[in-house]
Formats: sequence, C-alpha cells, structure tokens
Amino acid sequence: MIQAQSLTKRYGSKTAVDAVDFTVQPGRVTGFLGPNGAGKSTTMRMIVGLDRPTHGSVTVNGKQYREHKAPLREVGVLLDAKAIHTGRSAYNHLLAMAATHSIPASRVKEVIELTGLESVARKRVGGFSLGMGQRLGIAAALLGDPATLILDEPVNGLDPEGVQWVRHLVRHLAAEGRTVMLSSHLMSEMAVTADHLIVLGRGRVIADAPVAELIGAATRKTVRVRTPYAPELAALFQSADITVTGTGTDLLEIVGISAAEIGNLAARAGIALHELTPVSASLEEAYMALTQNDVEYRTGGTPDDPAAEHTAADLQESVR
Amino acid sequence: MTTIAPAPVPVRAFVPTGSGLSFGGELRSEWIKLRTVRSTIWSYATVIVISLGMAALMSAALDLGGNPVPADAQATFLAQAATFGVFFGQLVVAVLGVLAISGEYSTGMIRSSITATPRRLPMLAAKAVVLFVCTFVVGLVSTVGSSLVAAPILAGKGVTASLVDPDLLLPLLGGALYLALVSVFALGVGAILRSSAGGIAAALGIVLLLPIVLSMIPATWAADLLPYLLSNAGLAIFGLDLGSAGLEVWQNVLIVLAWVAVSLAGAAVLLKRRDA
Repeated sequence: MIQAQSLTKRYGSKTAVDAVDFTVQPGRVTGFLGPNGAGKSTTMRMIVGLDRPTHGSVTVNGKQYREHKAPLREVGVLLDAKAIHTGRSAYNHLLAMAATHSIPASRVKEVIELTGLESVARKRVGGFSLGMGQRLGIAAALLGDPATLILDEPVNGLDPEGVQWVRHLVRHLAAEGRTVMLSSHLMSEMAVTADHLIVLGRGRVIADAPVAELIGAATRKTVRVRTPYAPELAALFQSADITVTGTGTDLLEIVGISAAEIGNLAARAGIALHELTPVSASLEEAYMALTQNDVEYRTGGTPDDPAAEHTAADLQESVR
Repeated sequence: MTTIAPAPVPVRAFVPTGSGLSFGGELRSEWIKLRTVRSTIWSYATVIVISLGMAALMSAALDLGGNPVPADAQATFLAQAATFGVFFGQLVVAVLGVLAISGEYSTGMIRSSITATPRRLPMLAAKAVVLFVCTFVVGLVSTVGSSLVAAPILAGKGVTASLVDPDLLLPLLGGALYLALVSVFALGVGAILRSSAGGIAAALGIVLLLPIVLSMIPATWAADLLPYLLSNAGLAIFGLDLGSAGLEVWQNVLIVLAWVAVSLAGAAVLLKRRDA
C-alpha cells in the first residue's frame, strides 16, 4: 500500500506536485494517468526517495521507503529505461543490483528468463534498443520479488507482443496480492490494464476512482446537432452544465443534455434541426475532457481548428 | 471498449520475504560494478604498465658515472626507480575515481543505485572502500613489480637491495597507499560535481596544476602552502619530495587523509541533500 499525504514538490517557483493525497491499494492495478508534465514521474521518484518532498510525505506499507530493511524486496521500481550504466552488460547490472540485498544469482537468471533477455544478457546495455532497455528495467524491478511495483510508462518502446506481456504481468502480480502502480499518458492502455485510476493534471489529483466509474462519469454523452440556425440554438443552452462546441457553420456538438431534450427545446423555439445524433465519446476524448485544463504542454491550435471549443456564450458573442 | 474485470481481491496482501540490505552486500555490489566496466580494466592496466615501463626506463638511463652508490642509500635508489611511475599513475587513478561515480550520473545508473540503497551514504562508503582496496592492490602490484623490473638492471650498476629492507619496502607500500587515497579523493570530487568532464578537470587540476600554479606565485604564503597540497604531500610519502618542508612520512599521510576526508565529507553531505 502506498499512501501520500499532501505530497508537494517544488522546483524553484515551479510546482511539479501540488499537495497530492492518494492511496494505492494492494491486490489491484492502479493506473497513474496524466498528460506530460502532470507530475507522475516526480511523484514516483518521491515514493522511492530519489526526490525529497518539499512538503508532505509518502509511505510504502507504513514506512518511508528508505526506512525499510530490504528496500528492493519492498518496492520494485522502473523509473525510465535510462537508469542503467551503458558500459555494463545486462547480467552484470542485475547481479550488482542483486548483490546489495544478497539476492542469489539464480534469481538474476530467473528475471532474465522472465523478461526474455536471455540472448542479450551478456551484451553491453549501451547497444540495447528502447524495448530491450525497458525489459531490463522491468527485470530489475522484479529482482527482489517485491510486494509493491512502481512502473513508470512500462510499455514505452515495447512491441505489441511486449505490451500484451506487460499487461498480463501486472495483472498477475496484482492478483498475487501485490500493490501495482503504473503510469501512462495513454488512457486506452489504462482502460485495459488498470482496475483503479488516479488522474493527475498540473500536479494535482483530478480524479481518483475505479476505472469503470471514471469512464462512466467522464464519457458524458455528446449530441451532434446540424442546423442552419446554429447560433440561435446555441443561445438556448445557457446552463453551466452544458457545453456547446461549434465544429462548422451549421454543426454543433452539445454535451450535458440528452438528444430528446435538445429536440424538445429546439421545437419549442421553432428551430429546425437537420440532424440530431447522440455520439458516444471515446475513452480518449473523455480523458482529454478530464485533463484539458490541466495540460501543461499544449500544441498550438490553428484558427479554424475544428476542435477549438467555445462555450455557448462565446458563440453568441461571435455571432452578434 | 473492452475492459478486463477487476482482479479478484486476494485473501491477504503479498508479504515480501528473503535477505535484506547489508553493508557486505553493498561491498559485493560495488565490487561487481567496478570490475564490470571497461574503464576500470583499462585504467588499472595503464597504471601497472606505466609503472613497470618507467622503472625500466629510469634504471636503464641511470648513469652513475663510475661512482659507487653508498650501501645505505642503495635501497632508496631502487625505491625511487620503482615508485617513479606513481607520479603518472596518480593521474590515471584520479580519472578512474571520478568515473566510478560520475559514470553513474551520466548514464542514470545512480537512480538504480539509490533505489537499492535509499540511505545513500552506505553506497558511497562501499564505493570508497572497494575503490581504495582495489587501487591499493593494483598500486602494490605496480610498485613491487617495478622494483622487480628495476632490481636486475640496477644490480648491473652495483645497486642492490633486499625487498624487505624498510628503505625499499616502505616507499613501495607508500606509493600504493597514495594511489589508493588519490582515487578515493577523486571519487569524492566526482560525487560533488556529478559530471565526468568537470570532475576529471577538477581532480587533475588539484593533483597536477595546483602545485605548479602555487609555486609560480612569488609570495611566502604560497611557498608555505606548497607542502600541504595533495600531490606534494602524497609524493613525499614515498620519497618524491617536491615541496619539501621536512615533514615526516606519517605527517604527509595525515595531510593526504585530510584532503580525502574533506572531499568525501562534501560528497556525503551533497549526496544526502540533493535529489538524485
């Protein structure tokens, strides 16, 4: 179990992690989700004591990581593929890591076989591909047969077979009663791997819920409406709960109200509708919706970007 | 969108078992780390080869001009030939000492090391111990080997000494000790600067340039400081007295130890305080 209490990390004036509270329970896969720069990696680094929190604390099974007598047996961590000396062979890297905890060489061989690195184990890590480096990082994380696994972007650089393998591995580890926490910026990956999600945005927890619940809540139904009187129709939806997106001169996407209600409102106002289609938002869109205000590095949109969003009020303004 | 059903909640949480972290384990780990990178092998081989080569060259080039060396000075003569390579060896082991830790920072390995040893200081201590012991052994192989190379050449010129003669044995041990201490000093420098280029520049600057720069300053304080510099005191341990102040061997050892202590203390404080 991992518990964070008002965990905060500031680098100068920049707050990477902002008073975060969460609990990662054993026996299930907890996804740590968020856009780049949301504070996922920093949080993970604080859990294993690489970074010192500016405020607050984080414990693993009731103790700070460094207080444990056998840290590698408590937590196995994959931070990023680049945490390995490039001049050393994979086998020797694992052997050196294992030696600190007197883990036998037989366990080193075991994790090498488990991660499918037999053929390259004696080669220097500098020549490894991203995927092989990732497998070696996972092998290192598994070395101590740890009760908790923290994997930062574990499927990065893996081929589809590797992605599948990681998915099954983490689910298997969780089923054994271990605490498994993995980060990703891909909602689709999380949807098929995680049981529980903690969503971070700009260093804050913006959601902490079971996957199914989160998907249900986040994928609010969108209704696509085509009408020559788009501005007039948009003006009908003044509620803060309703978002109207203009995706063309006569096309609106409305979230927060059912197709039937839109049809009724339009009929009462005498607005002709040419199309009224309920659209299920994809998971990816739901995630975008959840984090759109919390994305730190956003690509610049073009002026006629169809995805450019306007509230109903904005739209009215532009019409007048 | 398909989702896999939540994993069944197990009866109890997984409890880890097995051996834990120990300083013996740390030492084994650092020994594995040191011997499994090429720079170590190359550095140590260079130290030995240079030392043997310099000893052969020195003793072969020695021209006594027909004057016999006094019996009580013969052992010192041989010792000087055997330890001459240490002057060059100190530069190599300084680079090795920096790389032993800066290589971990430049590759990201330090994050793996620190997650395995989250208290951090035992890792630095184990690194220092392993580096000291290995460099001392290599240093001893160099100086003793060099004396064995030089002995037959000098014997032809009428200079002989027994290996157990303190005038020969102590400088051989002293040269090895100095090499070991320089490597640990450089380890501290590398840990403070966390960069190979910066660490090597700083370590070599202190070992090589500082005595030269200081001796060029025409002031009494500069001259007074000279014997207390790392390399001047260190070379004086085995008789290569450059900035003589008439210090005893044990005093020179203490001066070198002070340099090492300052370097390691700085490294320890920063290692503990900084984010990895």
